[in-house]
Amino acid sequence: MSRRTLAVVSAGLSQPSSTRLLADQLAAASRDELARAGVEVELRPVDLRDHAHDVVNNLLTGFPSPSLRQALDAVAGADGIVAVTPIFNGSYNGLFKSFFDVLDSGSLVDRPVLIAATAGTARHSLALEHALRPMFAYLRAVVVPTAVFAAPEDWSGGTADGVLRARIVRAGAELADQVRRRPAAAPPDPFALTTSFDDLLAGRDQP
Amino acid sequence: MQFGIFTVGDVTADPTNGREPSEHERIKAMVTIARKVEEVGLDVFATGEHHNPPFVPSSPTTMLGWIAARTERLLLSTATTLITTNDPVKIAEDFAMLQHLADGRVDLMLGRGNTGPVYPWFGQDIRNGIPLAIENYDLLRRLWREDVVDWSGKFRTPLQSFTSTPRPLDGVPPFVWHGSIRSPEIAEQAAYYGDGYFANHIFWPKEHTQRMVGLYRERFAHYGHGSPDQAIVGLGGQVFMRRNSQDAVREFRPYFDNAPVYGHGPSLEEFTEQTPLTVGSPQQVIDRTLGFRDYVGDYQRQLFLIDHAGLPLKTVLEQLDLLGEEVVPVLRREFDALRPAHVPEAPTHASLVTARATESAAAGHAAEPAAAGTGTEGGR
Repeated sequence: MSRRTLAVVSAGLSQPSSTRLLADQLAAASRDELARAGVEVELRPVDLRDHAHDVVNNLLTGFPSPSLRQALDAVAGADGIVAVTPIFNGSYNGLFKSFFDVLDSGSLVDRPVLIAATAGTARHSLALEHALRPMFAYLRAVVVPTAVFAAPEDWSGGTADGVLRARIVRAGAELADQVRRRPAAAPPDPFALTTSFDDLLAGRDQP
Repeated sequence: MQFGIFTVGDVTADPTNGREPSEHERIKAMVTIARKVEEVGLDVFATGEHHNPPFVPSSPTTMLGWIAARTERLLLSTATTLITTNDPVKIAEDFAMLQHLADGRVDLMLGRGNTGPVYPWFGQDIRNGIPLAIENYDLLRRLWREDVVDWSGKFRTPLQSFTSTPRPLDGVPPFVWHGSIRSPEIAEQAAYYGDGYFANHIFWPKEHTQRMVGLYRERFAHYGHGSPDQAIVGLGGQVFMRRNSQDAVREFRPYFDNAPVYGHGPSLEEFTEQTPLTVGSPQQVIDRTLGFRDYVGDYQRQLFLIDHAGLPLKTVLEQLDLLGEEVVPVLRREFDALRPAHVPEAPTHASLVTARATESAAAGHAAEPAAAGTGTEGGR
């Protein structure tokens, strides 16, 4: 049985958080799908609320605190990422954006990502497509086709096997499929020397 | 081991009373600090180079020339000289001139500068930062080592039959340190030439410094300049001291909380834990500084930042008294006792002149096999 890791990033601000609830359901769906394929999955929950001050400090000082470093490493080193945010002002909240702003560049290249969001009204549903998907496209992550949006009616009116449930299962399966297709993740090392000095001297290092 | 001060040269209002020194006051304070560095028995004064407010030191060799005339032993250096936006021809000339005036009490630290808008003011582009540092330094070395240079490259007009004057004092160029926080290419550059590597160290977690110094040492050996522990390493440090550590914390906190680089971010306690900043008693500074050796190995130069964030001159001079009387004598003794005999001191003009004489003597006997293969000073 092979082993893989999924980072489960939630930018929910209240506790308990419907954003975290959605993130857990998506992670479980993906884990179950991978388990059926004989892949053992370790889930690494990353609640951004716990790192809120450290994220801002990182923006100001340029380096993460030890506990934020652990969270960033958990994401950079995961084989797949579930990224869930509440929608504020028609987009991801500032904490969600700031966390990915302080992640080392290049960390998410070719990394499977499942995007999802919660909001107070269904009218925010396309924020996933016009805000989250482009951000992860910029980071050159592989965002699975199904993005999952949960409005209040999905929690209150929905049944355990309702529409939201179906989307969660489908998105989880898509993430599992992308994770399975790839070798285990190896995060980039920002201190690794990637060119020889002779190449640098000859000016061959420029893209 | 060498101990000294490096200064950014910022003009910052004192957050405790709102008073902001004029540029004139700040410049005069910097040279007063430099003279005090010698007076209290430290070895090195290094000034930053900046071309934008709120910084004043745009013309380092002018300042260092003034200091040279008013000091006897002090080693004059930079932190850093911009190898990207300065013409390497001008760096070669300015520092050779300074070398003559200061009777060899000169070295310099090269850095790239990380402020994008500064580059075009000098006809450059920050996106070429690393290639500029590589090409310009390679030319700088030739200008100091070859009497007549024919050269062409990507970033400046070609040179034909050019002689940089004055020639370096005694035909020996100033020793060069390469400073970088997290660009492995610069550690590689320092290693390639067998030059010194300086890790800024302050404002960053020690892991950055540890990785960069480790890389530099490994590549220094790879290029045949000696064993990894013979590489020439310098570190920054940041301290604020009072005899009673609670007094130090109380007095420094408003300067910390409002400092330009890290203010309004992490708490003083968090920053102290996560970076080399030490605020406390002289003994705490001694203990913390000795601890640097645990993760970089035996090193050759320790520079402290003590005059930023609006600290008044009087306070800075008091810091220097504490460094000179209580901290550095202990550090010198302890570091010297710990350092194995095969680990060299930082090169100075005198040691470089001696090394060159030894080399020429060895070259004179090159036909005799017995003379070959001795010494590890070849690259320096």
